[in-house]
Parts: sequence; C-alpha cells; structure tokens
Amino acid sequence: MIRINRLFVLGVLLGILLTWVNPCVSEVFVQCPGDLNGDAIPDPYLPGGAPNPEYRANVKCMHLAAGDGYITMADGTPMYIFSFADLTGVPPDQAIEKGMLAATFPAPTIVADEGDEFYLTLTNVGMMVRPDLFDPHTVHWHGFPNAASIFDGVPDASVAINMGSSFTYYYKVVEPGTFMYHCHVEATEHMQMGMLGNLYVRPAQNKLPDGTNLNGFTHHTGYHYVYNDGDGSTYYDVEYPIQIGSFDPEFHIANETVQPLPFAYMKDKYPMLNGRGYPDTINPDPLPPPPANINRGVHSQNITSLIEANHGQKILLRISNLNVTRFYTLGTVGIAMKVVGKDSRLLKGQNGEKLYYDTFSVTLGGGESTDVILDTSQVSPGTYFLYTTNLNYLNNNNEEFGGMMTEIVVK
Amino acid sequence: MNRFLLKCFSLTLFFLIWVLLLPPRDASAVIDGISGNTFNLVAKEGHISTPDGGSVLLWGYAIGNGRVQYPGPTMIINEGDTITVTLRNELMQPVSILFPGQEDVQADGGIEGLITREALPTDDPGTPQDESTVTYTFTATHPGTYMYHSATFPELQVEMGLVGAIIVRPAGFNPNAPRAYNHPGTSYDREYLFLLTEMDPRIHETVEKFGVDALQGTDYLSNYFPNYWFINGRCAPDTMAQAFAPWLPTQPYNCLPRMHPGEKLLMRVIGGGRDLHPYHHHGNNSYIIARNGRMLESSPGMGPNLGMSVFTIKTIPGETVDAIFEWTGKDLGWDIYGTGPGFEHDCVDGNNDGFDDNTHEYCADHGKPLPVILPENQVLSFGDFYSGSPYLGKKGVLPPGAGTLNVYGGFFYMWHSHNEREMTNYDIFPGGMMTMLIIEAPGVPIP
Ligand SMILES: [Cu+2]
Ligand SMILES: [Cu+2]
Repeated sequence: MIRINRLFVLGVLLGILLTWVNPCVSEVFVQCPGDLNGDAIPDPYLPGGAPNPEYRANVKCMHLAAGDGYITMADGTPMYIFSFADLTGVPPDQAIEKGMLAATFPAPTIVADEGDEFYLTLTNVGMMVRPDLFDPHTVHWHGFPNAASIFDGVPDASVAINMGSSFTYYYKVVEPGTFMYHCHVEATEHMQMGMLGNLYVRPAQNKLPDGTNLNGFTHHTGYHYVYNDGDGSTYYDVEYPIQIGSFDPEFHIANETVQPLPFAYMKDKYPMLNGRGYPDTINPDPLPPPPANINRGVHSQNITSLIEANHGQKILLRISNLNVTRFYTLGTVGIAMKVVGKDSRLLKGQNGEKLYYDTFSVTLGGGESTDVILDTSQVSPGTYFLYTTNLNYLNNNNEEFGGMMTEIVVK
Repeated sequence: MNRFLLKCFSLTLFFLIWVLLLPPRDASAVIDGISGNTFNLVAKEGHISTPDGGSVLLWGYAIGNGRVQYPGPTMIINEGDTITVTLRNELMQPVSILFPGQEDVQADGGIEGLITREALPTDDPGTPQDESTVTYTFTATHPGTYMYHSATFPELQVEMGLVGAIIVRPAGFNPNAPRAYNHPGTSYDREYLFLLTEMDPRIHETVEKFGVDALQGTDYLSNYFPNYWFINGRCAPDTMAQAFAPWLPTQPYNCLPRMHPGEKLLMRVIGGGRDLHPYHHHGNNSYIIARNGRMLESSPGMGPNLGMSVFTIKTIPGETVDAIFEWTGKDLGWDIYGTGPGFEHDCVDGNNDGFDDNTHEYCADHGKPLPVILPENQVLSFGDFYSGSPYLGKKGVLPPGAGTLNVYGGFFYMWHSHNEREMTNYDIFPGGMMTMLIIEAPGVPIP
C-alpha cells in the first residue's frame, strides 16, 4: 500500500511538471488524415453523414503512449517496465491520463498492410515511478526499407519527443514482412526495460481478385500469404507473432529504486516469449493485472503465445528477437519449420530462386526476424512444443521449470 | 541517463567533424591497410584506450618497427599473388599467425607449435636458425574477406589483440569499377571494414598486474564476460573519429561509412572475437553475397544467387560476411529534397530508372510535401547528428549546441550491435560496438 501512496504523490507531482515544463507548446497532438476528433481513427463520414473528403481508405493510424508500468513474471514477481500503451480510440484530452502507468509488454502489436499510409503518433506520458527522469522516447521501425532518418527514431540522428507532447511518424508501407519496433532512446536501458513490440506487414498478394492464377496456384478471397511469393508457396491459415525477449531483474529493480544501472553486469534471467515465461505463455487470455493495483489495474501482458490450429492447417510463426544480451535458438519437436522469410524478406536468391528450407531450430540474435510455416497436415493431432534449445533458459529466474517455451496445439 | 556522460560523448564526437572535412582520397583507399606481397609484422606489447578513459593492455601486431596496433594491420592483397608474412616476436611468450581461409600455408623458422610454427621471444644464438622469427607463405587463391590471428594460446592471445583482417582483391581488380569477387553481381562503389571484437578487461588487468600465470587462478578465460566492444579496434564514439588520429596511436583504423543515395556499399564484416554479434544496419536491408571468402553461388559463374537480404548481419566468431548495402530513398511518399520556397529543384529521369539522373531523387515522390507537421523545437530533444531539417542535404534552425556534428545535412543511420548491452563502454552508455552510416546529399565530397 505504501507503494500506491507513493505512486499517487509522484503522479500528482508529474502532472504538475507536465503543465509546468512547457505550458504553451506541450500538448497531445494526433495527426491522422480523415480523423475528425483526434482519437487516431479515421472517420469515413462527417457528423452530418456526408462523406469525409479527407478520408482515404489506405490511411491507418495508431496512437501510442510511451511511459512506464508493471508486469508479472511467471514466478509471480512484479516487474517494473518502460514500454508503450495503445491509446488508439482515446480522445486526446484523456490520452495522458490513460497512458500513465499503462505500459504493456510486449508493446501493442502493430499490423499494417502493404500499400497503407501509416501515421503513428507517439505521446510521451512520462514515467510515473521515475518522476526524476525526463527521458524522451521514440519509435524505431526496425528494418523499415529506405528509412528517412527523421522517422527512423534514432535520437542521436534525429529528434525524440519530450514528456507531455506528441510526435507523429509517417510510414509509406511498401514492403511486407516481419519487422519489429522499439524505442531507440538510451537503447540499452529503454530496451532492457521493455520498450519492444511485434510489427508486421501483410502482402498485397492477399488482396488479389478471387480466382487469380498464381503460377498454377489459384488464389481465393481470404487466402493469406507471408510475402508476394508469386506462387502461393507462403500460404498459411493462422499466424502468430512470437517475440523473443529476456529481462535482467536486477536492472529493473535498480531502475525502479533509482539506483545506478548495472550495464556492465547485465545478465538476463527471465527468458520469455511475447513477454511471458512458461506456463504463462500458454494462457490464451491477457494475464490478470499485476497485484496490489500496482499499475492501476491495467492488463499489461496481452499477447498469448499459445499456438493453435486445426489439423491440416498451416501455421505461420512470425519470430523476432528483441532481447539485448544474447542469441537464442528456438526449436520444435515432432513438427518441422519451413523457413520462408528472413529479416522481412522472402527467402529467395538474387535471381529469384526460392531458398526455403525445413528445419527444427532457428537461431536469432537481437534485431533478427524469421518467418516459418508449420504444416500440421504432416503430423498427428496433439500438443507440440516450441522452446529454446538453450536449455539453461528454460526457467523463470530461480524457478527451475518454465522460461522460453510454449505449446503448439493441433486439434 | 546521466547528462554529464552524454556531454562527454558529444565532446568526443566533436572530433568527427575533422573526418568529414578531410580532403577526399582515392576511392579504393577507403579501407585503410597495407598492400603488397611481403609483410613484416612484429608482435609487441602496448596499450589501447577506451572512451571511458580506460587503458587496456594490448598484445598486437605492428608493421615492422612501427607502433603496435589493434587490430593488426589490414593486409590488402591480390588473388593469385604469393604472399610472404614474416613475424618477429617481441612479446614475452611464443606467438604465431594462423590464416583461416587460406590454403596450403607454409611456415618456416621459429619452432614447431601445436597448430603452426611459432616465434619464440628470443633467438637461441647457439643454433643456426632464428627462433624468434617465422615466415609464412601462401598463395591467395580466392578473393574475399578473411582474418588472421595468433594460433598460440589463442583463447588468450586473440583476446589480447593479436587479430587482423585480410582482403583479397579478385584477379584483374579495377579500382574504378571495383568488385568483391569475379562476378558483376558483386560490384560496389565503396567498401568498409567492420572487424567486430570484444574484450574482457579482467583478463587484461590480471595479465598486466600479475602476469599470464595468474590467470590460472581465475575462470576468466572459460567464463568469459566482455565489457568492451570494438569495431576495427575502437569503441564508440572513437569509431567515428578520424583514422590515424594522433590521440589513438595504437588504434589507427576508424569506421565511418559514408555514401550517396543510389550507391552500393560493400560491408566486409568479420567476427573477430569469441561472441556472436547481431550487427544491425539501419537504413535498409543489405544483400549477403559471400561468407568466409566464398561467394554464395549455386555453381561457378552464377554469381551470388544463394545470398539473402537481411537487416541484421549475424556475425559469428571466425566467420566473415560480405554484404552489399544500398539506400535509394525510394517510395518514402515525400520529397526528401523538400518542397516549397527555398527547396526548388527538378527531378529529371532521362534513363527511365525512376530516379533523377544526377541527384538520384526518386521522381515519383518529387514535390510531395512531408506528410506530417513536426513538433515545435521546445518539445523535442535533438541528436548531435541531426541537421535540423528532415530533408537531405539541408540544415534547419536548431537550439544552440544541437546538431553540431552534421556538417553537410546528411542522413545518419546507426550501425550497431543489436545486443544493446554491447553499446556500452564498461558500464557507460553509449559506446561500444556502434558507428553511424552517413547518406550524404549528392555532390558532397566523400573520400
Ligand atoms: Cu524510450
Ligand atoms: Cu532495432
């Protein structure tokens, strides 16, 4: 309870600071063409019912808060984090209040379609538990092709948004694939603290007219592909983003308690998939909020890693790694992975040859991604495992069994 | 983060400007090193410095009687040439050179070692041969990027600094139309070296204070825990300072890749230490054309058709990767040279490749304004590499002191280990295995 009182006091202090720092210019400012009320949702119609002339069907918007919060580790330990919260749909005058302490891990998943114009507004809501910090934040769309430095989110090479204000990133989305995103401010700290999320782009091939012949493969409305493969070879039925991550509890505690940060001795002890250790990974629902109302009751771990498919379906796993300390290998037992993509590109050679291959393990360092397809028609119904073959990371800190593992259920 | 440290970082970076204002050199000389057929290396002791103020004991290779250096001199040689490398030992223990990727290496002199012949610290005057010198000879049969390092007590000696790069130019190499291998699919405009290494300072301290034998009382070699990370022998931000900077006498090489839009940049990446590093290059994907000095081709003459596009190069100890990076600015959806008064320019695409024939502007985006309003300066934090303008080659109004390191209004992209822990210098962020790529506006001179 002491913590909540402290939080309350600090929150009030921060609120004062936010208005005091820059009373004239600091404000939430959502830029989203066609959006009439600042909630980052484009409105096709004007209030009277007439079509909105500003509305464009390929414009997508999102509003993210950057701030702090809490999650619960698989061994029950609450963990202080920095991350993003989804403010899309929230009126701008409520955005700061809604975004405070609402950080989720992983950060809200960004999904775009090839051909979108994507407007991403980032509002820095400040760190409630660390009101002594005035850290700016950014969004780095990791792997964005031909990025311009102004929207690349590297604070050294461009700008970062200060507390209480908003910056809107613009991305013309022309490459499908599995990317990832994270804050790039003081990257070692902000990334270890959790400002990491899934991001992927679906290909234009999904939207071909029904019956289109793709080199012998007939496309039908509703079919999905990982890339514009030209032959249906990356067709899948169900998809799951799987983000590898890991936390060093000492670092998070030091940050929470305003101690010097142990960069030199950083050692990750909570290996995770999508922000959870096993068995939390297979909980299909958002995890309950951390205990004692520590983050005002926010559901902060919303992405399951339970992989489910009906027998015969093809499962796409969009695997990315955003831990900051080491390489991890993910393996499967009993069901092969067909690797069809790497680092947001179809796995093909310079002359277009497909270089897909079957495997039972993929190794990724931080900042790498891969796309693998699991064909359940080749196996019997049942439960299979996706787990790190670095077996020493099958634990949740001192809890001996858990960590970087989840289940693939073929029904 | 500590503001004081940030300021220190900025001050060090100030020297970056020196690099940018240096007169242009010959394009093929972007990778610093020594070329020829005969090399005289001397293994000796010295120190390197790290941006946190540290001084680390170094055992390295020197060019003849020159200063010891980290990494060892980059040897730039030609396919087909017979190479002779003579190693003389001025260290207190035996030392040698291994040439991974080179075939049929002959070693003469010194004494028999476990892996190759080794040079002893001193010559025994009672014998006719010179035990303190070994001569290695090989013919460079394949073009590509390679490394060399000590084969004597390598788990210690490579850590101590006895490692370097070898670049083999393909036969018939034309510096005005350079290729990495004997295929047009490997041509490039500029090339840069990225020799990635790390050091565990505990090992160097122990050797310096108590001698090599004292390591036996520790688990430092087996329980390796590095805290310095290097590109071409320097930790950031020194990576971006000028090559042969007088204040870094034992770390002559820098790493500051620069290019114009539309050019091809050859990345020669070497895993020179013992850890894997996910080397992430902002800006665009690169296309891997070779591993370990062998083009990724399905059969001779095909070119690098088995390569792949990546945004992070998995750098593996002992392995080299050659990748071609391009940045065109295509399809951003806005005019990177700006619109409106003060930004007047044309986009002329005479050859129908979609780009302006001179500036390489992507003409389909010509005249399209920046799609968002940038916030007021008061609510932004500015990077030292930001020009103040989102447009290429332009500068904008910045608060005093900001953006001082961007001389020509270029776009800067961080190229770094995505194991972000490796972007520190012994507990201090930022630093480590990091540098910047600069996309310079057309017409900006690049050495
Ligand atoms: Cu941040
Ligand atoms: Cu990244």
